[in-house]
Order: sequence, then structure tokens, then C-alpha cells
Amino acid sequence: MTPNSHPVTITGIGSVSPYGPMEGLIPKLPLEPATITSWQTASQRRAFLVPPFRPAAVVPGLKTRRLDRLSAWALVASSLAIKDAGIDLTVLDRSRVAVVFATAFGCIELTEAFYLSAAANGWNGTDPITFPETLASAPASHVSMFHGLRGPNITVSNKYFAGESAIMQAACVLRHAQADVAIVLAGEALARTLFAWYEQAGLLSPACYDSNPAEGDGFIPGEGVAALVLESSARIKDRPSGRTYARITSGRWAASGHPAEIIRPNLRGSGPKLAICSGNGEPCAVSRTSSLIRETAGDDCVITSPQPFARGLAGNGALFHLILALGDLAGRPRLHEQALFLGTARDNGFAAILLELP
Amino acid sequence: MTDIHKTIVVTGVGVVSPYGIGLDRLQAGMLSGKSCLERTKDEVYPGFEGTIAQIRTLPMAEDPSPRYSRTDRLAMIAAQDAMTNSGCDPSSFRESGVVMASTVGGLTEIDTSIAKDPDAFYRRPQSLLRTSSYPVAHVADAVAEHFEIRGPRCAVSVACASGAMAIALAANMLLDGAAPIILAGGSDPICPFTLSGFHSLQALDPDPCSPFDQNRKGLNLGEGSAVLVLETLAGATARHANVLAVLRGWAMTNDAFHPTAPQAEGSGLANCMHLSMQMADVTCDEIGYVNAHGTGTPLNDIAEAHAYETAFRGRSRPIPVSSTKSYFGHCLGAAGALEAAITIMAIRSGALLPTLRLTKPIESHGIDWLRGDVKRQPLPVAMSASSGFGGSNTVLIFGRGLS
Repeated sequence: MTPNSHPVTITGIGSVSPYGPMEGLIPKLPLEPATITSWQTASQRRAFLVPPFRPAAVVPGLKTRRLDRLSAWALVASSLAIKDAGIDLTVLDRSRVAVVFATAFGCIELTEAFYLSAAANGWNGTDPITFPETLASAPASHVSMFHGLRGPNITVSNKYFAGESAIMQAACVLRHAQADVAIVLAGEALARTLFAWYEQAGLLSPACYDSNPAEGDGFIPGEGVAALVLESSARIKDRPSGRTYARITSGRWAASGHPAEIIRPNLRGSGPKLAICSGNGEPCAVSRTSSLIRETAGDDCVITSPQPFARGLAGNGALFHLILALGDLAGRPRLHEQALFLGTARDNGFAAILLELP
Repeated sequence: MTDIHKTIVVTGVGVVSPYGIGLDRLQAGMLSGKSCLERTKDEVYPGFEGTIAQIRTLPMAEDPSPRYSRTDRLAMIAAQDAMTNSGCDPSSFRESGVVMASTVGGLTEIDTSIAKDPDAFYRRPQSLLRTSSYPVAHVADAVAEHFEIRGPRCAVSVACASGAMAIALAANMLLDGAAPIILAGGSDPICPFTLSGFHSLQALDPDPCSPFDQNRKGLNLGEGSAVLVLETLAGATARHANVLAVLRGWAMTNDAFHPTAPQAEGSGLANCMHLSMQMADVTCDEIGYVNAHGTGTPLNDIAEAHAYETAFRGRSRPIPVSSTKSYFGHCLGAAGALEAAITIMAIRSGALLPTLRLTKPIESHGIDWLRGDVKRQPLPVAMSASSGFGGSNTVLIFGRGLS
């Protein structure tokens, strides 16, 4: 997204997370990791888990029995976001609605189940119903099917910036008039094989094992799906009842290079006075994210605190970082009109999205 | 008047396929009518007997790191070939973007024992490193890291439309100025997981497939990778690049119908074709050839035939269509990119490849099913159509390169 391109507006938010299914912003509430019970562990293992709930109790008519949890959560989160945006799909041209989904590990639970069935019955004895549900794009496909959305249906993955790249791809689709509305989703589900990989790779925080942990490096794995409704700002003008959480005015991302030089031309006027940290790296206050914010926006730029739960989403926590930060700002006097939504990774990788907060 | 900043061109094509490395080998093999589909037994996994197209040797000795999956390696070979084909040194691509598609990702590096005891699986030598290639994002990372490309990178996974969609998204990103050049394509190998999945769905033809034939029985899996070098005409002109083709139009739609079956009338795909022609500013009469998705499954091919009848209704003569999956199978996430390469090849050579083993085509007045000999004719504009599970459709329209 270049600085001169048409802005797009975030008009709806929905999520399924350790806070449960939620329409709109997530209120600031304490969150503790929960003990894993879905599979047997030698001793206590903890993560930020989505509490069990019945999707049809949240979205009437929803059938999710044979779906991966990731697909079920995507259906719930998208429904809540559409409702939050006040969009009546029955009067919308649904061939003009795009779905953009970001995930790192996709439908890992059913992938695991497919491997289990192959281990038990041989590769010639696997389950035909499970196979298509293992595809990374299955959640996005179900969102399109359930809501009847016939516009572009895109599933992306990116090591550190999956959520940010989904937002930017969706904004791109809207600005090139390939759709009028985009449902952007990002999320992960936790499964035994994934937790074991984190554990064997030595990536986990001591808090995964102890409710009163000693200090140490690492992260707490999390799960959930967040959804945003993006609309072209011109469309919002025609829909006065539409809510505006934030406007996306520009965005850039790269895997390396000179991030400050790339970000600066995207800033307007005096630059942002607020930075919302994304990414899954170190806490913003001590990370290269902080240095980059100082370098591009100056020393007086306020930096929101990182969101430990969203850091556990395999580089896919951007939407939750944003939703939680906007929730945090909601009750306060709005001092900041422009915000830099920024994540960084090793080797100078970054994703920077410039927001206007109305 | 052409806006050179909004015209996306192809300045390099890289391919690795069962025919070998490079577009020339692919072209020579396909023009000779050679099919790479072979009968196999107990090779991919014990108990599998059927027809597939494999790449027998994978020349990538210079980096044998276990962190690269077979998917990554295929992508790296195709990317290297694309950069060589573009006539530029890899260092010219430093600020480029990478958009790579895959459905398999690192599944090639995992076996069934992971599900029974993941801890024991990961404790095996190099297992942890090998499984780090599992996310499809790793394919884009592998290409970018191997060639020290530091622009934006992204992976796309939308089942069998992935490769074409990677090209469409890369084109969008170029219009946005996200990078000066983008390497875009797809890569997928044959692996037990996907072969077993399609076998369980009874979607495989045990013999070499016959797309669009009335007696078609299913698909065959293949493997490969293709990568296109995409940039704006302004960028290509500034660096005196050889323009191989113009990406004149692209569109993406979804059927919103069924997890595995296409909408029976092909309405989503037909709409995708309409939108891409609109973007390319061409009429249906101007499209000289369609490289079809044409998997050979009963449901796909009839829905696709309906889509062509709808999208090309009113055309003065039947639209020439063929499925090149009859040569080396369905390469899943790489298929759309490989077929984009074949479409560009057709435009440049004027050689329209027939569908192999097409003896009794689906009846249609609006479609000229290409079969028998290679048809030779000038081809200014051609279309490549891709569809996938979950109803994803992507259509690309290519035109001749500018002199």
C-alpha cells in the first residue's frame, strides 16, 4: 500500500480466543494460561487455550461437527465480525466480498488425525472426509460457503507477519476494486504435535509448566482466530451507520533491508504519536521494534504494551495485537490520530501499517 | 495508451517438471507428445498402485541442509531457473518480493510416527529441523533466504488454485509498489499424505488420466514447480529486460458451494473468466486458447466445460481448450504456475498443445477440444484457468510481450 492509495476502514471485529467468542473489542481482562487436558502430558503443561463452547450456541445454524477447530472458530469469528460491522449480507452483492485468512500451521488438529488414521490403517485406509479438512485453506473456504461469499478467497502464510500480510493483501484487493468488503481472519489452533515441537525446540516459557514460574525466556503458545471486516472508505461514506475502528492508510513489509527508510515515506506530517506493537518477538520495550519506532516516529511516541497471548500465535497474532490494543485505548481520551502498527523480526524483517484512529 | 506503471510483465520463467529443468525441456517434451505419467507400485507408500509423474533426480547438491523440504528444493530450483532465464544475476533480485504457493509444504518430511509419539519423532536426528519446514510459509522463506532476497515475502495456499493465485497476488502487490520485482509461483511434490488423501476420495485414475473425455475416471498426481519473474513494464523497460509476456488480466472468485466439488454449472469459474477478461480489456473473441484446469475428475471437467460455455457465449467460433495435466499430472499448488508457464510458452511459440488421450470429448458446441496434433497459429492472447477444493478459482490472461 502506498501512502497515496485509498484508505480502507476496519468496521467490524469478531474473535474466538481464550477470552471466549467475542463480538467487537476485547475488554482488558487478566488472562492466565490454562492447563492442557486435550492430550496426556507427563506433568502440567499450560497454554492460552480457547475454552470449549458450542459454535451453534453463538451462531445459530452453524454445523461444525466434522471440521477442524480452526475452521469452526473462523466461522464463529467471521459471523461475529460481520454482525459487529452491522452488515446485512442478504442485501449485499456477495460476489463482491473477499475472504483473506492467515495461518502458519493451518488445520493441524485434523492433519494429526489423518496421520493417526494412516498409522492405524495404513495410507490406503485414511478417511476421505478428513482429508479436505486438513487443507490450510479449509477455514477460509468454510467462511465463504457459510456466508455465501463468492469474491476472492485467499489463504496466506508468513513466518512472522501472517496477520499483517493478510490485512495488506485484503486492502490491496479492495483498492484494486476486486471486492467491496473483505473479511480478514488470522489464527491458529494448538495440537499435541505443535506443542511438542515448541517444547523440543526449547522455545517455551517456564510459565508453560508452573503457575508461579521462575523468570526465563520463551513464550506461551496460544490459540484463537480473530476477524476484521475491512471496507473501502468510500463505501463507509454511503453507510452512515457503519462503525469505524480504524482506517488503514498505508502499509509495507519486507524480510530484511532498511526498515526505517521504507517506513518513513509512509508517515504523514509529524508522524504517529502512538505505536502498537505486533510480531511475535521480544517484548516491545526492549526489542528492535522499540528502536525502530524511536528511529521513525521519535522519542515521544507512546508504545502500547505487548500482548503475551497474541505472542503465542506462531507469528500470526497481529490481529489480536491490534484488537487488544484498540480495546485498551477505547476508554481513554483519544489523543492520537495516527498510529503505527509495527512488528519486527530478526534480520530487520518488519511489517508496518499506518492507521488513522477516528 | 499503455500505462507502463500499471502494466505487469513477465521477464523470466523458471520450471522444474518431470521433463527436467527449464522451459525449453518442458516445451520439447510436451511438443514431442511424451507423457511423463508412469505406473508405480509400492513406491510412494506401501500399498499404493497407480499412475503418477515424478521428478526422478533433483539436482541440488550445493545445499543439502535438512531444513529444506522437497517442496522448498523444487521451488529453489525453479526460482534459480527463472532468474537465469531473465538474464539477470541473482544479486539484481535483492529488493524483490517472493510469493510462493504450496499445499504440501513440509509434509514430505513427516511420517506417521509423529502422530503416535511426537516427542520420540522429534528426538530422531535432524527431525526437529526437518519439520520446521512444515508451514507453507517456509517455501517462500527458502527461496528468499537461499537467494538473499529481502523484499516482502508471502506464501499462498488455496488448494489447486494456489499457483495461479500467487501470481495474481504478486501482480496486485506490484501495482501497489510493494517491491520492484516479484518472484511468484508454486511448488508441490508428491507425498504419501496427499496421494493417500486423493486415493481415499476415489479421485485418482489408476491409468494415465483423460481430461475432458466422456470416459474420464479421475486425476493423476504429478510434481514440480514454476516461478515467474514479474515486474511493471516501467521497471522492465528501465532495466532493458526482455519481456516474455504481459499479464493482461487476473481475477479470483469462490464458488461458495462445497468443500471438494465445484459448483455444477461452473458459475464461479465463469465469473472469474469474465472478470479477468474485463480487466484485460479483451473480448471473448480475442482469447485464442485456454489452458484448462482439466483434472480428469468427472465433476471438475463437466463443471469446467459449462464454465467455458458460459464465459465464451457469443463467441464467433469455438474456444480452443486443452488440459496439459494429461502430460505430467496434477501438480496441486504448483499446477497454476506451471500452466501459466505453459500458456506463455504457447503464446511465444504459437503451438497449442492438445490434451492427450482425449478420444471422446464432452459434447459442447462452444468448445474446440484440442486433441491429436499440435495446432499452430499466432496466439496474441491466451488464458490459464485454475480451480481448487473449497471453491477457489483464479484466472490469468497473458498477452504477447512488447517489442
